[in-house]
Amino acid sequence: MKKVFVVYATDNVGTVVLDPIQAGDHVTCNGERRDIEIVAHDDIAYGHKIALMDIAEGDTVLKYGLSIGSASCDIRAGDHVHTHNVESNRGRGDLADREAVSAE
Amino acid sequence: MAEFMGYHRPNGDVGIRNHLLILSGTVYANGVCERVADTIYGAVPIVHANGRCQVAPDLRVTRRFLAGTAMNPNVGGVVIVDHFREEGMTAEDLADDIAPTGKLIATVNIRGDGGFISAIEKATRYAQDFARQISLYRREAAPMSKILFGTECGTSDTTSGLGSNPANGLAGEILIAQGGRMLMAECTEWMGCENWLTEKAASPAVAEAIVAGVQHMESRALASGEDIRGSQPTGDNMAGGLTTIEEKSMGAVKKIGDSPIIEYLEIGEAPTRTDPGNYVMYGPGMGAESISSMAAAGCQVLTFCTGGGHTSNHPVMPTIKVTANRQSFELMRDTVDVDVSGVFHDEITLAEAGQIVYDEVERVCNGYLTKSEALRDNNSFAIHRVGPSI
Repeated sequence: MKKVFVVYATDNVGTVVLDPIQAGDHVTCNGERRDIEIVAHDDIAYGHKIALMDIAEGDTVLKYGLSIGSASCDIRAGDHVHTHNVESNRGRGDLADREAVSAE
Repeated sequence: MAEFMGYHRPNGDVGIRNHLLILSGTVYANGVCERVADTIYGAVPIVHANGRCQVAPDLRVTRRFLAGTAMNPNVGGVVIVDHFREEGMTAEDLADDIAPTGKLIATVNIRGDGGFISAIEKATRYAQDFARQISLYRREAAPMSKILFGTECGTSDTTSGLGSNPANGLAGEILIAQGGRMLMAECTEWMGCENWLTEKAASPAVAEAIVAGVQHMESRALASGEDIRGSQPTGDNMAGGLTTIEEKSMGAVKKIGDSPIIEYLEIGEAPTRTDPGNYVMYGPGMGAESISSMAAAGCQVLTFCTGGGHTSNHPVMPTIKVTANRQSFELMRDTVDVDVSGVFHDEITLAEAGQIVYDEVERVCNGYLTKSEALRDNNSFAIHRVGPSI
């Protein structure tokens, strides 16, 4: 059984701070949330995040109890959570341009 | 209410150390300061590369850093050494800034006092006298509310945002509950979580200043041709698992807890308020400049949260290194004071880690030497500058 660390009780992602995770590993949590057991779908390296539950496209990814971005596609519990499936909502000059174009 | 044993200064400040500073007013007085400090028991030289041929805004910051460092409650007396010059920042100007604290001050001017050798003699005699006078000062009880607790993070890794920084924020909350104040700088690292900070602002003016501070730092970076937004998180950060700027910044600002942000300060500026709570300061992420700005603002003690381990130590403000990376603690145990990696191994809770950090801060306030203090590795005095030398 592998463990990931959850820093805040409402978080939907945990972070690998001990042994790295291989796809198929059973994973539980320590830190501020211990009620979850999932099966990893991906290899997840030290310092990287795993989804603790399903996160639908557009939903908020929570770490520290706060938004660290939005899911850019449906994320399943046990998926690696990183730049391939999460988008920042801050400093997005590209989005401002898109909105300006669609407003014209 | 909890107390610590500290040095009561004439202006009501309470120091946790009783340093004699040999303060260089300009790069050209560094040599004299170092010779004097070599001779005198316990003297601490403050030397730097600034004070000459700087644009006016930078010169003002230099003056604020130098005077502020001498005004820090941990300083009992100061000998200022200066070289002949004409800008509005002579040894006398610095002495005027420091005078309201009521501490021992003497000035020496290398040209005015007859050159390098005569200046060393004169400064050494002042320093000998001051060292003996301040040796009579005794620690007396003071409330913890007298403590301004600075905090910094550097060489951060995954363990910083999850372990050492949140533990540190909880330690700050323990101090604030006793009437103390916590100060965080490094506004570069507030980007992406301005909302989390402004929600805590004690007034709309503080909230506006926080947002403006981040924008100013961003615009400075843009003017240099570097868009910090486009490169944050950095490639290294992403390889390490950080996905967005929000995530990176949240890890950094978790160095403070949930108490209100009472005041926004310009770099090196002392708080004007005494309300318990958090205080924030404009400034760069560069560690030595950042912690020097907090010492100049009057912080008696600072926690430096680090993932990779660190050697940073300010010459007048004890700098407690805290890590949640067990390997870094082992590799860097000569200079890293506190290990809270137990939070990841189910050995301690975050709340317990916060108490461990607080307990170390309280011990250091009572005179316990940090590892770097014992080594006299006073490596982290640096003055922030923006403009060129002219």
